[in-house]
Amino acid sequence: MDMSPYRDLFVSEARSHLSLFSELIVRLEDIPGDTAAIDELFRHAHSLKGMAATMGYEQVVEIAHLMEDQLSRVRSGEFRLLPPFADLLLAGGDTLSRLVDLIESTSDAVEDTAGLIERLAAFDPFAEAQPQVHADPPQESVETSASASHQFRQTDSFKSIRIKTETLDHLVNITGELITIQHRLAGSIRAADAAECREPLHQLTALLRALRDEVFKARMLPFAFIAERFPRLVRDLARRQGKEVHFQIEGKEIELDRGILEEIAEPIVHILRNAVDHGLETADERVMAGKPFGGTITLTVRRDKDHVEIIIADDGRGMDPGILKSKAIEKRLITPEQAVHMTPQEAYQLICVPGFSTAATITDISGRGVGMDAVHEAVHALAGVLSIQSQCGQGSRFIMRLPIKVSIIHALIVQSGPFEIAFPLNVVTRTVELKRSDIREESGQSFVILEKTRMPVRSLRLALNLPATSGTEGIMLPALVCDVGGTLVAFSVDRISGQQEIFVRPLRTPLSHLYGISGATITGDGRVLFVADINALNRG
Amino acid sequence: MSRTVMIVDDSLFMRKILRGILAEKGFIVSAEAASGIEAMRNLHTSHPDIILLDIILPDSNGLDLLESMISACPNSKIVVCSAIGQPLVIRKALDLGAKAFIQKPFTPEKVTEVLEGLEE
Repeated sequence: MDMSPYRDLFVSEARSHLSLFSELIVRLEDIPGDTAAIDELFRHAHSLKGMAATMGYEQVVEIAHLMEDQLSRVRSGEFRLLPPFADLLLAGGDTLSRLVDLIESTSDAVEDTAGLIERLAAFDPFAEAQPQVHADPPQESVETSASASHQFRQTDSFKSIRIKTETLDHLVNITGELITIQHRLAGSIRAADAAECREPLHQLTALLRALRDEVFKARMLPFAFIAERFPRLVRDLARRQGKEVHFQIEGKEIELDRGILEEIAEPIVHILRNAVDHGLETADERVMAGKPFGGTITLTVRRDKDHVEIIIADDGRGMDPGILKSKAIEKRLITPEQAVHMTPQEAYQLICVPGFSTAATITDISGRGVGMDAVHEAVHALAGVLSIQSQCGQGSRFIMRLPIKVSIIHALIVQSGPFEIAFPLNVVTRTVELKRSDIREESGQSFVILEKTRMPVRSLRLALNLPATSGTEGIMLPALVCDVGGTLVAFSVDRISGQQEIFVRPLRTPLSHLYGISGATITGDGRVLFVADINALNRG
Repeated sequence: MSRTVMIVDDSLFMRKILRGILAEKGFIVSAEAASGIEAMRNLHTSHPDIILLDIILPDSNGLDLLESMISACPNSKIVVCSAIGQPLVIRKALDLGAKAFIQKPFTPEKVTEVLEGLEE
């Protein structure tokens, strides 16, 4: 029988088993007596073995078989799943993942599994420190509560199919084009005053709206889709740092657009790394500070209307705004005068400024990944907002506020010189008219006092390197008050033209290097409209 | 002759392979189920002649499920699928009323041999 038609299915199902497998091991380290989880772990190894045997993948069979054997000893209560055994199982899972990758690529490359097989076969739990094994059998109480929370695994069903992200992207693009054309058509029909076209146009609009909603729904995935690897990551980092960390994820079931999920995974990884590496103190420091021995990191996902907030909080040492400011002055990122006027909120944002963190301050672990400036960029590229809260000695919170859906946003359209610029409505707090005479200057910065608060004013023309206005305009200057990472900034513009739903397209190189612009859209009458990146604009 | 089959296995991969083998030999796969709950629900609507039952399922003890299936649908012949190394489970399943068993990993020939053996 030709098995090749089943290879893709094998690969995707094997991956799902392996990712659940690693997730369960990490969970079992926290609750070693969770017998339901041990059973499930066993079942994953067992299913994988059966599938691989059917396909004739001998290496996979052998490793899965040895893992299953050792797990059956845990299952029978012979020994408990402690870190040395968990490490071995995780290494086994990693090797199996690499084997599955090779199977998928149909490559002739070979994975050397001899060492792992030997370690698995020879594993002796009693040779390593396994305290009170027999004295402390799996706890019944834990089992009950764990099995209640341990719902049935989601199984494949004929009610769902797999679709390539690419196909979904095409669908979104086509839908976006359709909506653009519909706006143009509506304009022409209005201009021609063609009454007989109104009713079909009305229906077309309604259908396109329904189509757009369905296409977006098809792109939604639960946060769990990317969350599976986080517990393992935190565990491994903590082990390497010799720190004890309790890690919790809440809100895994909340759905986001898969494009956003794919883009946000790396920034989350970086924040988690920072939290383990820099945020949490060592056990000794914690005890000295009167805190519990182990640190806690929580990753919370919650829905807030058409936005999702991803919050990563630690109970570590927190950040000192004073130290951040003096470091930024030292690096000439800000002037001492600017530092004086900075709120703590603004000071925390300094860690996102490119060039703030240097090799001297970054350890091996976080240094290799993206910096906070890249995290910041990534969040903004998704039309999101990153805010940072911290309290010295108490810990830090990183809050990423993201739209649930990509691509179509509500925007305020403004005119600046020859350009039309769209400001995502989620960053605009309100629009105001500023009196030119109220705008003051201090150490090269413009500001106004609005409702007793000192608010920086930035001219969109200057930010975009356009010539300043001739000064003959009226005494009032329209401005958008925007929330830039927790700080309100007023952007003065030539004219506010209106509000519109726009389909944002990312710019590709070389246009992606355009300063202050995060994307573009084509309007109903075919003009190009740029989408503002307010963070870049604010940096000036 | 009995020809309709329900496949109960939590692995989509396994169900597809079994479906492929059975289709080639002229069996009609009238239903598939990925869990015990789904299996019981489908049993009432499809009344298959043969049930291929994987004994390890995420939501139920395979032996309990076997008993429920026999009492719900006594005319269906149940064939238990299980991996090597579980003689006790197989013995128990046969005692409870399973008609035969197939060990995983199986060959297409083995599957057809067992299913055709049922019809005699």
